[in-house]
Amino acid sequence: MCVFSRCLHDGFSHTVQVKPHTGSNMRVIYDWRLSKVIDADLNVVDELLWTSSRSSKSVASRMEDLQKGRLSPEARILCSRFPDAIPDAVGHLTHADWPDLTVEEQQLLESAAHILAKRGVAEASGSIDRRLDMLVSSQSELRSAWTTLEARCIEWVGLLLPSLDLDKDRERIPQAVSDSTDLRDASGRLGTSPPPHPPSEVEWKAIQDIGQRCLDVANSLTSSEEAIRTIASEYLPSLSKLVGPLGAAKLCVLAGGRERLARMPSGSIQVLGAHAAMAAHRRGAPPPKHGSVIFSMPQVSRSPRWVRGKIARFLAGKASIASRLDHFDGEPWTESEIAEIHQLSEGIKQKFPSPPKRK
Amino acid sequence: MPRHVSLGWGVRKEKGGLWTRSAVRGKSVRGERRKRDGRIEWRKWDSRRSKVAAMLMRSKVDPSTLIPNPGSLCVYLGASSGSTVSHLHDHVCGAGNHHGGKILAVDISTRMMRDLLTLCNTRPGIVPILGDARYPLNLAPYLPRMADWLFQDLSMPDQAKSFVKSTSYLLGEGGLGIISIKAASERWSTGGDEQHFDESETIINSAGHLEIIERIDLRGLEEQHIVIVAQKV
Repeated sequence: MCVFSRCLHDGFSHTVQVKPHTGSNMRVIYDWRLSKVIDADLNVVDELLWTSSRSSKSVASRMEDLQKGRLSPEARILCSRFPDAIPDAVGHLTHADWPDLTVEEQQLLESAAHILAKRGVAEASGSIDRRLDMLVSSQSELRSAWTTLEARCIEWVGLLLPSLDLDKDRERIPQAVSDSTDLRDASGRLGTSPPPHPPSEVEWKAIQDIGQRCLDVANSLTSSEEAIRTIASEYLPSLSKLVGPLGAAKLCVLAGGRERLARMPSGSIQVLGAHAAMAAHRRGAPPPKHGSVIFSMPQVSRSPRWVRGKIARFLAGKASIASRLDHFDGEPWTESEIAEIHQLSEGIKQKFPSPPKRK
Repeated sequence: MPRHVSLGWGVRKEKGGLWTRSAVRGKSVRGERRKRDGRIEWRKWDSRRSKVAAMLMRSKVDPSTLIPNPGSLCVYLGASSGSTVSHLHDHVCGAGNHHGGKILAVDISTRMMRDLLTLCNTRPGIVPILGDARYPLNLAPYLPRMADWLFQDLSMPDQAKSFVKSTSYLLGEGGLGIISIKAASERWSTGGDEQHFDESETIINSAGHLEIIERIDLRGLEEQHIVIVAQKV
């Protein structure tokens, strides 16, 4: 049926057919080693082998293309030779005499898979989404650590220095404790009367340690927030302007990446960070008006209760537009556009000056 | 009564659970127990951590028919860090892959792939693939022929649909396709877990190329999970 003449060309040894079939239902089937054109009756019309020297690296780059759904070079040539033929990515699995992998090919494929998987793992470190995730998570963990340490430090010193004003001097206490040599010294720095029952040296050491730790954690918190601000204002410029860089980063992490955030409906953005409330809503509770990020905006949290939902909905819509601008390379919003949005949300507040009547 | 029942090469069922013949001696993969029986080392296959083991413990049909034959071509979608894959490897490939088996271990998470890669270094026969298991066409290039055994353990919505798709493309005739369905991964609905399971079963049944052999409830070993075993016809 076919007349074959073998020739070598560009590392492909291929069979050239004198009169190509141009019937429909022809398929190009392929894997990384070879490609065949088969007609409707499963006859092989043409085939092409990959004959250049194989290494696990070259197999890996082929597999990378194939895994992305692209054609192998041989399949591409056969497709151009037979324009009617349809490429079939799984055709080789069912083809009766598709060659089995030799031991050597088996090893090549395995090491190629290793290389690709390793490369994928290495590439994950380049993803800003993942890096923001680390930063935002560490920030929230540091924050909760700081709250605990700070509260303990204040309560402890407050117990031992009964005349200290814990509200007015709160912010100075950890610094004073970590700078002092003993509690009497600390009380002097804080401008209060000395302790009626001074702690022993070991006990003071423990107090001072907490004060020191509190300052350290505060420093780490500042540096991690600084990093988030820098990355977010570059990665999410419009959203950062609208909800602040920290809020923007948090939204991005909660959504599971910038792409997913950009594809999210604004209703979902509105309730990001309200997981518990959403779960309760699914069981019949009223829906949450806003998630933690949208609520942290002063336009929402400083507004009266009855307009918060309205403003949150409005701002979530704007946030969703902003995230799309950021992800799909739109022109970032300018300050004046942000100001306009804030004006509009102020307008919503003005429109509803008094609480709705109870039904 | 004998002390143990053999479920196939290198897999034993004892009173306390399942054990596989360790292909890499002296090493636990995820801190599981090991024991010696003569010259052979066995690793405990924890049925609370592995859904394949749980399925084998709970199955009403002969569990030895549910595991792949040594030397066969297996696909494991959602391999995670590979603890289940390591036990399958004990059975399908054996030490140094003397059975000549092959397990395609697919996972999408780079974090899990990291652990899986270290596992692959000592266990020839496992092919690690970092990719989305919902798109079987992208996995086909790794297979030389249709697979003999396919297990899907994805915590994503529409698990049954992607199972139907991957079995139709990748699983050979007569091969076993097994899916572990996690109710919590599906979108929420009023009917609860049972409704999710029933819907998934209908989807698999109506696919046409799958014949359901058994539906196994994993309650007690793995909550909100069932396993459906089907054969491709």
